[in-house]
Amino acid sequence: MVEAKNMCMKYEKGKHNALENISFSIGRAEFVFFVGSSGAGKSTLLRLIIREVKPNEGTLKVFGRDVARLPRHRLPYLRRNIGMVFQDFRLMEERSVYDNVAFAMIVIGSSRKEIRRRVPHVLSLVGLKDKAKSKITDLSGGEQQRVGLARAIANRPAMIIADEPTGNLDQGTALDIMNLLRSINLRGTTVLVATHNREIVERFKKRVLYLDNGKLVGDEQKGIYTNVH
Amino acid sequence: MFISGFGYILGETFKGLYRNRWMCITSTGVVAVTLLMLGLFMLVNLNVSHITETVKEQVEIVVYIDEDADQATLNQLRDKLGSHDQVSEVDYVSSDEHMSRLQRQLGGMLEGYDTNLENPLLASYEVRTVVPEAVVSLAEEFEEYPGVSAVFYGQGYVENLFALTNVVQVIGLGLMVGLSITAVFLISHTIRLTVMMRKREITIMKYVGATNWFIRWPFILEGLLMGFVGSIVPIAILYYVYEAVIEWAVMSELVFISLLPLEMVIIELAIYLVPLGTALGILGSTFSMGRFLRV
Repeated sequence: MVEAKNMCMKYEKGKHNALENISFSIGRAEFVFFVGSSGAGKSTLLRLIIREVKPNEGTLKVFGRDVARLPRHRLPYLRRNIGMVFQDFRLMEERSVYDNVAFAMIVIGSSRKEIRRRVPHVLSLVGLKDKAKSKITDLSGGEQQRVGLARAIANRPAMIIADEPTGNLDQGTALDIMNLLRSINLRGTTVLVATHNREIVERFKKRVLYLDNGKLVGDEQKGIYTNVH
Repeated sequence: MFISGFGYILGETFKGLYRNRWMCITSTGVVAVTLLMLGLFMLVNLNVSHITETVKEQVEIVVYIDEDADQATLNQLRDKLGSHDQVSEVDYVSSDEHMSRLQRQLGGMLEGYDTNLENPLLASYEVRTVVPEAVVSLAEEFEEYPGVSAVFYGQGYVENLFALTNVVQVIGLGLMVGLSITAVFLISHTIRLTVMMRKREITIMKYVGATNWFIRWPFILEGLLMGFVGSIVPIAILYYVYEAVIEWAVMSELVFISLLPLEMVIIELAIYLVPLGTALGILGSTFSMGRFLRV
């Protein structure tokens, strides 16, 4: 699904590398944590995968295609296969839960019929069946992130990328969200999570890629956060 | 709730216009004012060139024939004038014809003048040129021909007319360009504001895989509508203004000014202003979108 080879990334010329000589490979239906302190390069890595930025050196293949060589007009089609979940949820606050999820389907041109069938389904998957008509601002943080998750899976992506999805949530709610991500993963979707929530990483015992100062310093199956630090 | 695809784009266009209605009304108004000035100038310009064209068509060279020239020289002169490639028409006017014209022009003033006396007027050739602007140089050329006593073409007056026409055209072009740039700037500024207000939405659209065109369409349609309305309003205003001007000209019996007919002028204005306004609207919105789509 994702294959990086000797990848380097610099935001500006002359500055130090945001990522240095990174190589790894992630297969279908894997669940992977990216951990490291702020500025270690987790977000940069995720931004590279959705081709918000391009690597300066090395190659990055997503779904078998070299993203650096992907022409601009093909980007939307790459992103339709990746569901994004953000720390700050990035929802349209003045609109309803239903509209927020439907929006993701409208912009890729799904039919009305399909939207009417799919949206209630994904809302029930994340446990928000009864809140379809609620406004985003009337929801708790945990509920808002569930909407974010519902939106991410609405178009049946092959991969979910979550950048600090639990960063703004208390521990209990964070666990709920992670459990949802795990159940999504169990249905065959690849899930990549950038986090520095130690407890969650230790509890879930999934593959962990450790980043430190732009370098990949560890890659362990059933990793424990404390192995490196 | 939502309607998908094209319906969504149309819906977003009108929602966008409604949400930013004051800004949209303002910038439509600015476009309208800009195009109104432009239209007003075009109106003047069209009529000025119509009048000058009419005058230009009347410009001719009168070549007076030397009394003492013999018949062979005169024949030669007539052939030379007639076969010149810059000349479209040559008319011979005898000295008698000149006299009767003069009598007509001066009315009764020549009464009592004995027409049996020797006619002092010279016979002439009246020459019309293919291009009115060629009059000056041709006149100089004809003066050198044998059998010619004098050449007249409204010296001074003709040069001024041509210079004036050029100045009017240059100013018109300058104003068109200047006002168009202003309109693009204003529309793009307005659309930029609406884009900024919806930045979050656009970012989300990018993340879930909307194509740039899908994001762009509502904004382009917004610009198009603003430009279109902004061009219809000044045309309507100019229609009534010009109608009043024509009425006034008729009332004041300013028959010597031949104004262009109302319908023709308004159609001409619409042909320029409607596509221009619409294009300006589209251009303005495209300008302001570019930066936001590079995600």
